[in-house]
Amino acid sequence: MPILQPILPKILSVRRIPGASEALLRAYGADPSRHRSLGLITVDQDDPTYVALDEATKHAQVDVVYARSFYAGSRHTSGPLSGEILGVIAAADPDEIDEGLKALIACLEQDACFYTASDDGQIAVFPHVISSLGHYLSALSGLPVGSAMAYLVAPPMEASIGIDAALKAADVRAMKIFPPPTETNFAAAWLGGELDACEAAAMAFASTVIDVGRSPRER
Amino acid sequence: MSIPLSRTRDLVAALQAELGARDPMPPVGPIPEIQLPPDRIFPTPQRRSNFAERSAAHTTALVGIGQVGTRYYSDVVLQFQAELAVAHGAVATELPSDWAEKKGYLSLQSRVTGHREFLLRPDLGRRLNAESVALLREKAKKNVDVQPILADGLSAVACMGAGPDLMRLFVEACERRGWSVGTPVCAKFSRVWLEDEIGEITGAKVAVILLGERPGLGTGDGLSAYLVYGPKVGNTDSNRNMMSNIHARGTPPAEAAQRLAVLTGAMLEQKTSGVPLDLSPLVAELGEIARGGYRAPQQRVRLVELP
Repeated sequence: MPILQPILPKILSVRRIPGASEALLRAYGADPSRHRSLGLITVDQDDPTYVALDEATKHAQVDVVYARSFYAGSRHTSGPLSGEILGVIAAADPDEIDEGLKALIACLEQDACFYTASDDGQIAVFPHVISSLGHYLSALSGLPVGSAMAYLVAPPMEASIGIDAALKAADVRAMKIFPPPTETNFAAAWLGGELDACEAAAMAFASTVIDVGRSPRER
Repeated sequence: MSIPLSRTRDLVAALQAELGARDPMPPVGPIPEIQLPPDRIFPTPQRRSNFAERSAAHTTALVGIGQVGTRYYSDVVLQFQAELAVAHGAVATELPSDWAEKKGYLSLQSRVTGHREFLLRPDLGRRLNAESVALLREKAKKNVDVQPILADGLSAVACMGAGPDLMRLFVEACERRGWSVGTPVCAKFSRVWLEDEIGEITGAKVAVILLGERPGLGTGDGLSAYLVYGPKVGNTDSNRNMMSNIHARGTPPAEAAQRLAVLTGAMLEQKTSGVPLDLSPLVAELGEIARGGYRAPQQRVRLVELP
């Protein structure tokens, strides 16, 4: 298997609750005074889904009220529909939920995905560049809505070396670094800067991850 | 629904091309350890079928020889190769030019001039050359009852082996019956039909050619005898009677000479040969062979012994 082949995320379930009960709305972090409908999705890759949830907020009047990764990733799942993440968007009416889900699914199918970073495909890397942030990741990262962000994920060792290389490769700032272990045992970083700088940083991250995989012990 | 896509996939594809150009081949993985095959893959069957056992006793053909997996036993293969070599050797042997004279036969030769031509041109082997025709006209007894002919045919080995014995025994058997026997001749590079021209020139009632037969597996020394009443150029095989497998393991020469004499007698009596010849009155003398069908049990001769 060649390196840097897309590993497409698998959407495992998509459901709507047009009029959700108030207790459920509260439990999942929604505000019953503004939100009445929910859209729920499970996917076997968590980080592309966070990107896709953010994408949904740019195309519909929806809020991402809940998004959590499951422990140890999709290979240690609680059921065939669980995958690696449950994402929940909330809106005032079901039509907005529909629009939001369409954008979310389009982003998962056509844009955000992990890539292979070793010849045997055992190492995966996520060097995604969001050209224009929605209000979900904007709020989490502290970057303004509409700015660019590099969303970088890899296994612990590869990510640690890769994030350092990315920060040195271009004029970017580390908005957040998630050291291992995350829920899925990966490590991640959100880098902010101009779009060109974010893209250069992301590609430096990807090639460093590949390099670490090829020579795990210092030569 | 179409949404504005990020450039990530294009960037990654470009990075892939860049890395691919730098390192076109993935590193070679370790070579897995190759296990040696087991010592013996096919078990040797312990029992042989009754049918194979009993059929094999009646023929020297390769039946009931068993198998190992999808192949023959080594023993069978070696035996086959040895038998084939015997057959090849017999075909390749040439009758020495002076052999006939040394044995006291009138020496004749067909129109064939060499061994290779003999194998490739059967038509030339069926006619005498000019010198032989002249020799035969000059020296041979004419208008006899029986003209005996010895010939090399496809096995000079057989001709030189049991040939003289069979010739002598047959001539004696004919003389005992009071028939006039022609000058014994020996023809080189001869095919069966040469008996027609020889018999026609000597004016014989019956011509008998004894010649080495086409070698089979392990049998390079077999003689055949072909008898024809009223020999003349133009006779076909339907005009002939024949006896094959005249050798120690088939019909021994002494027995064959008696049977040939009986056949000759029937031809002289019925004044015909081949298909029209009625063999039914001869059952008493020829035995079961006159009816056809039965073959006495035969034993394969081992040419190779395995340790």
